[in-house]
Amino acid sequence: MRQGKGSKTPGPVGTKIMIDFHTHPVLIQELAKKYPDYERASREVFHIGNNFQPLETFFLQMDVAGIERAVLLPIDCRRARKLAVSSNEQVAELCQGSSRFIGFASVDPRRKGAAKELQDAVEKLGLRGVKLDPALQDFAPSDPRAFAVYEVAEALGIPALVHAGMSWAPETPLERCHPLLFEPPVRRFPKLNFVLAHFGWPWVWDAIAMALKYPNVYLDTSSLYYDSPKEFFQFVFSKQVPTTLIERSLRNKVVFGSNYPRVEIKNMVHALRSLALTEGCLHKIFVENAERLLARPEPQRMRRK
Amino acid sequence: MIIKLERIKVQSRKSEEAINITPVVDEVVHKSGVRHGLVNVMNMHTSAGLLVTEGIPCLEEDILTHFTRLVPEDQDYHHRRYLDYDGRLGFNADAHLKSVLGGISCCFPVEDGKIVRGSRQTIYFMEYDGPLERTYVVQVLGE
Repeated sequence: MRQGKGSKTPGPVGTKIMIDFHTHPVLIQELAKKYPDYERASREVFHIGNNFQPLETFFLQMDVAGIERAVLLPIDCRRARKLAVSSNEQVAELCQGSSRFIGFASVDPRRKGAAKELQDAVEKLGLRGVKLDPALQDFAPSDPRAFAVYEVAEALGIPALVHAGMSWAPETPLERCHPLLFEPPVRRFPKLNFVLAHFGWPWVWDAIAMALKYPNVYLDTSSLYYDSPKEFFQFVFSKQVPTTLIERSLRNKVVFGSNYPRVEIKNMVHALRSLALTEGCLHKIFVENAERLLARPEPQRMRRK
Repeated sequence: MIIKLERIKVQSRKSEEAINITPVVDEVVHKSGVRHGLVNVMNMHTSAGLLVTEGIPCLEEDILTHFTRLVPEDQDYHHRRYLDYDGRLGFNADAHLKSVLGGISCCFPVEDGKIVRGSRQTIYFMEYDGPLERTYVVQVLGE
């Protein structure tokens, strides 16, 4: 199976290479200058108002946070919103420029040929996972057309990072954001690892129940909806949910994600470190769990329909 | 009367940083052709600053440390809420307050084509919320 230049295998388990599993390449000057619709998609669809920054800033933000590698997430919402929030090709381009980036693909399950498009993104562009956002992409996680995408992802041995929890993007109904909407595909595709983003907030317990019950469900920490990152984490992960739940029961099921540039990576790292978690647990969240998700097994033979 | 304005970008590399921009300002004045007049330097951000002090590393560190003592990160700031116009939360009130405390601009006379400043006076771009690419403007007025 061919892979792009930017697709590097993460370090072996036991290294200290910290991975941010949830970033969006939406404010990069170099892409804004090159692609006419990029800026409008970031402003109007993704809805972020910060200044565009040179790519160097992205790396410096990772550096000050102690993050070595970052997963880049595009969102293919061309049908639902007329624009893609960065494309698979743009993500692949960034990954070809730096081994610090791990690119995911995004396809629209309701578009004809989505499954094949995902296969090509993995095999030809070297992308390493699939990002889906039912609210922004306007699809139901249980839509049979989405099942075709899950099937290919499972066969390719890549993880699916799916939006769960409230979305800040405009025109994204909350009813499309509930983590339990993913229960049918999670059950149907037990070899496909699902990462429920944002800890599913405000449905945190529902997301946790999914991760506790199903071996193929993970959670990412890119959750911030009020107060500061530290205050939010202190409340959600020590008062709303006991920290011991993460330490004892979810230590193998949580990956660090920042949601940069909606939040600076360093703030989310500090917030996570402010919790009463052991170094062993933090190492799993920052390093090991992400490495395990990104380590692809031998791809299964594609099933033909 | 000559009026020259330049927008200059600076890349900060740390969360907080004092960046000496004196040589850049000197060069803008030199290139402007102004022999006698004023130069005004202004930072274009609200979570960064611009100030003048003696150009030595110990003072750079003392200023940043003292600002953090005056404006600790872990305080009860109203700014920590969702900002619809930005599509994100504001949790950098400390950086904004440091910008207010230290100021965002400075002005020097220009004489015989050179900035008139004390031998120890150094112009700093102050980053309080980096790393980011930032912009400041230098405007030279005179004849």
